Amino acid sequence: MAAIAESSVVGGRQELQRLAIDHTRVRARQRRLRELGRHVALGLITFVLVAPFYYVLLASLKDSHAIFQYPPELVPWPPFWGNYANVLSHTNFLRWMFNTLFVATTVTVLKVFLDSMAGYALAKIDFTGRKAVFLLMLILLMVPGGALIVPLWSLVNSLGLINTYLALILPPLANPLGAILMRQFILGLPRDLENAARLDGLNEFQIYWRIVLPLIKPGLVVLAVILFTDQFMSFIWPLIATTSDDLIVLTVGVASLRAHGGVDYGLWSASAIMSLVPIAVLFFILQRQFLARSLAGALKQ
Amino acid sequence: MRFSAEEHARLRRRVRLRREISGWLFLGPMFACFVLFLVVPVFGTLWWSTRFGGLIGGTKFVGLDNFTRLITLVGAPQAIRNTLVFAGISVPLILAGALGIALLLARLEKGGAVYRFLVYFPVLVPGVVAALIWLFLTNSDFGLFNETLRAFGQSPVTWLSTDNALGILIALDVWRNVGYWAMFFVAAIIGLPDELYQAAKLDGASAFARFRFLTLPLLRRIIFFAIVVSTIWAFQVFDTAIVLTRGGPAGATTTVVYRVWQYVFGSSNKVGYASAISLVMIVAILALTLVQMRVLRSRRGGD
Amino acid sequence: MIEPRSSAMPAVAPAIELVEVTKHYGKSEAVRGVDLAIAPGEFIALLGPSGCGKSTLLKLIAGLEELTDGEIYVGGKLANYLKPSARNVAMVFQNYALYPHMTVRENVGFPLKMGGVPREEVRARVEAAANLLQLTTQLDRFPDELSGGQRQRVALGRAIVREPLAFLMDEPLSNLDALLRVEMRTELLRLHKRVGRTTIYVTHDQIEAMTMADRIVLMNKGEIQQIGSPSEIYGAPANTFVAKFVGSPPMNLIEGRIEQGSDGLTFRGAAEVPAGKAFAGLSVGPATLGIRPEHIEIVDADHPDAIAAKVDLVERIGSNSNVFLIVAGQASLIANVDADTLIREGDEVHVRIQPEQVRFFDAAGNRVEGKGAAR
Repeated sequence: MAAIAESSVVGGRQELQRLAIDHTRVRARQRRLRELGRHVALGLITFVLVAPFYYVLLASLKDSHAIFQYPPELVPWPPFWGNYANVLSHTNFLRWMFNTLFVATTVTVLKVFLDSMAGYALAKIDFTGRKAVFLLMLILLMVPGGALIVPLWSLVNSLGLINTYLALILPPLANPLGAILMRQFILGLPRDLENAARLDGLNEFQIYWRIVLPLIKPGLVVLAVILFTDQFMSFIWPLIATTSDDLIVLTVGVASLRAHGGVDYGLWSASAIMSLVPIAVLFFILQRQFLARSLAGALKQ
Repeated sequence: MRFSAEEHARLRRRVRLRREISGWLFLGPMFACFVLFLVVPVFGTLWWSTRFGGLIGGTKFVGLDNFTRLITLVGAPQAIRNTLVFAGISVPLILAGALGIALLLARLEKGGAVYRFLVYFPVLVPGVVAALIWLFLTNSDFGLFNETLRAFGQSPVTWLSTDNALGILIALDVWRNVGYWAMFFVAAIIGLPDELYQAAKLDGASAFARFRFLTLPLLRRIIFFAIVVSTIWAFQVFDTAIVLTRGGPAGATTTVVYRVWQYVFGSSNKVGYASAISLVMIVAILALTLVQMRVLRSRRGGD
Repeated sequence: MIEPRSSAMPAVAPAIELVEVTKHYGKSEAVRGVDLAIAPGEFIALLGPSGCGKSTLLKLIAGLEELTDGEIYVGGKLANYLKPSARNVAMVFQNYALYPHMTVRENVGFPLKMGGVPREEVRARVEAAANLLQLTTQLDRFPDELSGGQRQRVALGRAIVREPLAFLMDEPLSNLDALLRVEMRTELLRLHKRVGRTTIYVTHDQIEAMTMADRIVLMNKGEIQQIGSPSEIYGAPANTFVAKFVGSPPMNLIEGRIEQGSDGLTFRGAAEVPAGKAFAGLSVGPATLGIRPEHIEIVDADHPDAIAAKVDLVERIGSNSNVFLIVAGQASLIANVDADTLIREGDEVHVRIQPEQVRFFDAAGNRVEGKGAAR
């Protein structure tokens, strides 16, 4: 804090102004330095986090000879596409990708509705057992899928569903996170809106469909993203639930490259990069979504 | 009143019934899946943990045998130890890193979006792919780590050895998860009231003091939540372990879930042991969850 | 005790009738045994402080909450177990509750559409309502593009277009700024005169109630305190709560006793008020005297009924002033006098309580009336 000169000093006003300007300038410079520091730190951190991807991308564009070369080429030119060709021709990659996308999309679409309906019931309908159900869901929320593989497998098997798409689609529907999330979003809606809808003659389903769903769209998007990425990354359950070649999902397939088929670094790197494409695309699309309009001021807060 | 009590009761019952039905119609489908594929298996674990045998073919009842033999089981203690070490080191590293990144990001004035995208990206990578990527980092011949060492004139290290493998697994996990919690903390920090910081600055508090006495206490609840959840996740490490090192070398990266899988689907066929371990894990996690719910409900300061 | 008196009602079937209506939320009793009959075309104000149960009562009538006990009749039919949309009532909410993702036209037409009205008719009725409320130019806008007053009118339009048996309004003007509120108040009244539908209007603002209602239902803590026309509520309050709630500044209440004096009954408390017509028929005993600020005059010291007082504070509010007085060193009175009365803080003055305007309340707070008391 600069000392403020007494303006009783001759020429004091100018002195004051000069000091004030200096002070602001010093402050601004400090702020810029701090900002720069943050950028440097974040830049380093991001570099460390992202470098592995670049390195694998590099490897995927080199033939096996170039991979072992030291010093390694930082920009392989010309790029070697053979690895990618190999993935497509020598592995079932496309089938794996299709399976994963199919299951992920189906689960996401189904669960968005199932969970939003369940969330609506938990938030807005007063029925017996509502509190108990919610509590049960909260408690079992954290139970990990990995701990349940034994009885789950046995159950799905006795339903005759092992090695079917249903085996991949149905169990994820049990995750209570979605219903809990939806309940929170729906509870946040203004209450009078629902009251007005009731008076206007909507039945329960219509209120859900025409009023609640459109208004929780951001929440639905969040849920859909979580569901999709969860399914995309799911590994241990698909590993044991489907064994036939045409049902293998991406994660299991890629893991199998390491398990069987010998060591082929080019193949591995190419398949790793190709696996990342859907997620990168999804993320890119979402970045733009975050500029969506917020809930209109039709209701005073 | 012009209508009798019985008539009122009858009509009221009808209205109630309609409401109950609509409630269960909405909740039903999801709840059915929830019960069938989550609640039932939880009890199923209980049942299976008392049996001995394989998944297909018969099993016989052995009571609490599986539990008592758990400690002496081949590989089980090691798996448990590995998992605990893993969780014990990775969680603090992840959360500390996430908090640091969050503090930087939250105060950033411009350009945050790019960093957020890049920091969060590893989170979206499936474990198996992440493990594959790290094979390229840890490879003794051309791995990025050894190449960097070589560039600085150091000798190469065997990263996936018996001693180092678990450390690599931890590093991998940190790399994958730090972005997730960083975003979480950023949202929390942005939500903190500005006036408190301005007041603290006027009081002459340094940046570090502001962090220690203002930010940390205010974030106490969220940090606690993060610790519990990331610990629970740490207990479930599996896919990275299987792809990176197949649980080796010599069981160095065998985790609990890995053991479970091995017991059931691997070479062994001991469903009972697998379920017993699973049950222990479930109970531990439930206990953690309940503790968390209790703590987060009672303490008020961090609101 | 004086029964809550209602002004004479024509012998027509009530549009809405409440019989022993009760609502409990767990342990708390929001509405206790409310009885009320509303004639067709009446404008009823449900008035009371926050938490008195007026909004709950409105929601019970609308069917948005379930009765714990009692009966509600709408249009002569038992409505307890009818869905809100089946009760033929329309509601205007404090927060307007407009559908943010629909245009004004869609918002207003929505109840008709849901009711299966043919599209052509919907359009006609929506435009008629828009004309009535001067919304024709806003029909294709979205709620977030409108001002507060416009949104309020859309909410009204949505209710009007249904041509219901009754309008239920839940503090519809509280979210508007003061000037707009006054404007909308007159507009609502004008609308009521044109459309003539039964209206139940919930408010905590006594001025709204007094200026708009045919009858006021004053509530406190879930119970009805008094039902009556604005002048009845003002001039003949049933108990001290009513006396203090309605009127600004509130009625002065002085505690004391009615005693036998030299020539007839006299009230002795911080002030002494001798017998007047107001005392006829009263008995000796503890009583509270009520007198409205505008019925306290400043007089000269030698006036026979003069009471000594000291001026504590003077609030000048335009054409008159509120004078806060301290009498006998403890009781405080508020007098409302003409603005040009020369008076200053600290003055020692004398005041007179107009005996014809005095109201008495017993120890329980209920008004006691003697024969010949002023109405």
